[in-house]
Amino acid sequence: MRDKILYALGAVALAILVWNINTIARLPEETRQGMVFKIIFFHVPVAITAMLCAAAALVASVLFLVTRNFKYDALAVAVTEVGLAFLAANLITGSIWGREIWGIWWAWDARLTSALVCWLLYAGYLMLRRAVEEPTQRATFAAVFSIFAFIDVPIVIFSIKWWRTQHPQPVFWGGGSFPPDWTTHFLWNMLAMALLGTVMVGVRLQQEDCQRELDSLRREAHAM
Amino acid sequence: MSLTSLPMLLAQVTADDLEREKIFLQHNYEFLSYGLTAAWVILVIYLLMLLGRQKKLKREIASLRAMLEDKKA
Repeated sequence: MRDKILYALGAVALAILVWNINTIARLPEETRQGMVFKIIFFHVPVAITAMLCAAAALVASVLFLVTRNFKYDALAVAVTEVGLAFLAANLITGSIWGREIWGIWWAWDARLTSALVCWLLYAGYLMLRRAVEEPTQRATFAAVFSIFAFIDVPIVIFSIKWWRTQHPQPVFWGGGSFPPDWTTHFLWNMLAMALLGTVMVGVRLQQEDCQRELDSLRREAHAM
Repeated sequence: MSLTSLPMLLAQVTADDLEREKIFLQHNYEFLSYGLTAAWVILVIYLLMLLGRQKKLKREIASLRAMLEDKKA
């Protein structure tokens, strides 16, 4: 049943994306930046999805420390891994946009640097999990690390407000605006990316279940 | 813009301007396609990794189960 729901959500996300990419391609060019501006339709939704994953990881980590229930630890690792993939897509699309508009691939400004640090922190979280063998100790260390790593998330989000950055101000809360039909397509892409993220988290959670089953079978085999 | 000003405007656009605009648009389109391809490649690779890992886990579970049943029998 869960498989079917996941496949259905994945199919809906893909259908929205295929339809939306087709429509976005036909939208007019932005006056100053031209065609490359349309990267925003992917760059921002993947960033928001990554930040939502980080928030979910924080909540799951806190819940694990409070309840000691391993299902929250599984949720934390699942959302962190998926968020890392989305953040990687965000960093790379941003870098490609920067090369075309700024003439450089990377600038060490507050937004870009804090986003890279965020990616490195969550990559560190996954490495930490691999380094600790004992499950309870692993889950506890990882939960504490995840809570500390989340400190970087508000810095990533508000860096463009707190400091003068090369990264542009956001369209929606930075005084800019989209034509209404552009906003609609942006929101459709946002929904599709969120659905895609949910499907990935669902698949990753199933793997955690499988891994637990595998570990118990291995223990049983050793005992025999 | 009045109709009389249009030919005057066109007269001011040189062949170099048009060539520059063409190169800008080509370059712009190229980078947009790089950006979209990169975003998709990352997400698809991650999805394929997930599915591969899932298959491997299920295979390992099935073989361990079979081994345990053999031992019990």
